[in-house]
Amino acid sequence: MRQELVHVMAGNAFAISDAQGDMRPDPAAPTGLFSFDTRFLSHWVLTVDGSPLNALSRDDMTYFEARFFLVPGTASHYVDAEVSVIRHRSVDDAFHERVTVLNHSAAPTDLTVRMQVASDFADTAEIAAPRRRPVAVDAVAEKSQLRLRYQRDRFTRETVVTATTPAEVDEEGLTFRIRIEPNESWTTDLHVACVIRGEGARDLRADLEAHQRRVRHHMRADLHGWLDRAPGLISGRPAVSAIYRTCLTDLAALRYTPLAYPDSVPVGGLPWAMSLYGRDALVTCLETLPFTPELTPATLRILAVTQGGQLDDQHDEEPGKILAETRYGESAAFGDRETSLYYGAADTTPLFVVLLDEYERWSGDAELVRELRHPARMALDWIDEYGDLCGDGYLRYRTRNPDGGVQNQCWKNSPDAIRDRHGRVPALPRATCELQGYAYDAKRRGARLAREVWGDPEYADRLEREAAALRERFNRDWWLPERGYYALALEPDGTPVDALTSNVGHLLWSGIVDDDKADAVAANLLDPRMFSGWGVRTYAEGQLPYNPVGSHLGAVWPSDNALVAAGLRRYGFDVEAARITDAVFTLAETLGGSVPELVAGYDRQVTRYPVRLPAAGRPQSWAAGALPMLLATILGLRPCGDNLLVDPALPAGFGRVELLDIPGRWGYADAYGRDRAAAKASHGEGVRTAG
Amino acid sequence: MAMSAAEHLASRVPGRHPDLPETTAGTLRLDIREEGYTDHWYLTIADQSVEVSRSYEEADLVVSGQRGVFDRLAAGGTHIGSALLRNDVTVRGNLRLLLSLRRLFPGPPDAHHPRAYCLHGNGRR
Repeated sequence: MRQELVHVMAGNAFAISDAQGDMRPDPAAPTGLFSFDTRFLSHWVLTVDGSPLNALSRDDMTYFEARFFLVPGTASHYVDAEVSVIRHRSVDDAFHERVTVLNHSAAPTDLTVRMQVASDFADTAEIAAPRRRPVAVDAVAEKSQLRLRYQRDRFTRETVVTATTPAEVDEEGLTFRIRIEPNESWTTDLHVACVIRGEGARDLRADLEAHQRRVRHHMRADLHGWLDRAPGLISGRPAVSAIYRTCLTDLAALRYTPLAYPDSVPVGGLPWAMSLYGRDALVTCLETLPFTPELTPATLRILAVTQGGQLDDQHDEEPGKILAETRYGESAAFGDRETSLYYGAADTTPLFVVLLDEYERWSGDAELVRELRHPARMALDWIDEYGDLCGDGYLRYRTRNPDGGVQNQCWKNSPDAIRDRHGRVPALPRATCELQGYAYDAKRRGARLAREVWGDPEYADRLEREAAALRERFNRDWWLPERGYYALALEPDGTPVDALTSNVGHLLWSGIVDDDKADAVAANLLDPRMFSGWGVRTYAEGQLPYNPVGSHLGAVWPSDNALVAAGLRRYGFDVEAARITDAVFTLAETLGGSVPELVAGYDRQVTRYPVRLPAAGRPQSWAAGALPMLLATILGLRPCGDNLLVDPALPAGFGRVELLDIPGRWGYADAYGRDRAAAKASHGEGVRTAG
Repeated sequence: MAMSAAEHLASRVPGRHPDLPETTAGTLRLDIREEGYTDHWYLTIADQSVEVSRSYEEADLVVSGQRGVFDRLAAGGTHIGSALLRNDVTVRGNLRLLLSLRRLFPGPPDAHHPRAYCLHGNGRR
């Protein structure tokens, strides 16, 4: 069994250690200190008199701070330890660790405290087998400083470790020879700067306006303010309030400030996706508009700034396309991977328009819609000009970078995710069904923006005609009448890929489903083949490729379920939406802590406990946003003109739910709901969190 | 034949660029270094148009690098984002303007329209 890993994080910097606070390379996990997709510390190991330390307890204070309480020696004889050690670490742009050694004995003690330090400057993309890099090491004893430096052409990364007390410095670490009097303590502060050198030995970030404005001195106040601005939740089921608060905290932890922009946007999540991913960021924003709307304008603006401008095969870039991923590491810089700005996603572009419209409906911020008219128009043009690869009016994908491009450019992006129910892999270019829903929704919403904000009724008419035609052709070409659901995908020749998947739930969310087909779709989503008890599976059991531990061939994703549940409510399936919400909240409650990105698709009756998967990181922004969105769905929150409509349909056991101070164009509004049992009986006091 | 950065800046950059958002406005100075001297190109972006002059005035964003790097940019041989990460260009100021250069300099000359790639791409690669 692997040891527990402990993380602290801020922006795109994070440190992952073992339970003692030590960091050593691990091929299976990005352990060490990372910033801008580079590992700045691969070894960070503390010993006292040559002995490793043992953890007594830990205090995970906030997402950016942790304290480890330790004693030297092995577990068998630390009971009457005469010395104990506290490591208090925090991360912002730099990493700090305060080491305190306490002498509990009646006599003075002489100790040798050593921090072993090394960096391999590995790129996050190569953690499994980091390349050996030549690292120049410079021990500056008079400053108690150790400098580690890697250079390739003009690309430089440097780790500077400085202690505040005198140290002996060698190429592998810092040694402190100390004497502590009885019942006294000794402390040193270790500061680790992660330097990205620009010209004239200046840090690249120091030159950037955006980072100059970044204020990290008040991170606690910032977190407090973030929680305070979000609506307060009172729930008759106390776990719901606790989960809500965890999700809000995770969303706070997963904000980062890109180089090009002063406001923070969501990163994908820990540990593998600590960078801006267009899809994850867009979905997170869509999930959290009633709760943390401040994420959205920054996300839309950074995605507009980075919108594709040219045809570029390596980056799968086309004019108007919205970013899939951006990375800052060495492999991105040198084109070993195409991730510096990678556009291999067919869903981000329509979702950009969907988010812009949805944001305006909540916030009333027409100014942003005017500001982003050009990018939104380019995004809408992209759908037909570059997204319709076979000229049949359907949005498709196929990478033009066969070596490094992403094969499946939809949210189910693992290489084997798209198969028919017998396991056959469909031909490329591939059109998955949810992409058509997003395109339909983007056109409808683009039409509203054109009519109401951009003053372009002709364009609005055109988009509405195109949307109506798409809907008609989609309901004809994709519907599988003998199965009662829509095909997962269409091949280039129009052959349907007949698997039953959660993608059909996204179609409800987008509103492209004809009313006469909605009953069958909803019934399929809640059928035991799809619904595991923890949520709706990505792929229905009983089809040949089904695999409960396959990310997109059976596993359950909270983010997927949030969109599916919203779709069900949109079509009036209140009971079904409530059932999914209850399942996902029970999943979160049973696991405790941050909501993982996905869990295995095993039936809840069989495992009784959600089975976590190695691939599933936590916290993840779209998983953290999923549970708030489910709350908004069961409360039936919907902007209507300048008012907030509330139409609750709560699962049994939620009791009375109050969501207070929901921000929007109405100012602040409250929403109340109660489940049936609570509505019948008068109910006791709830629990209030987050403001 | 690929143009040099100087030729591109003189002939292709000035004028109207419908690909630039109408809300993008600002000044960019490109400092193109060659042994012993630096060429300064001053770009003023407003209303989807670009004015180009030779000036050393302070700008909202200053981008500097060797002439070879800018020549590769003008030939579509490198991406401005990757060049920044490699430290082949250094920047000072409002980085939001940097990606405007993606709209003013060409993409790779061998790039395909995705639809053409789907029709013909297999055979060519």
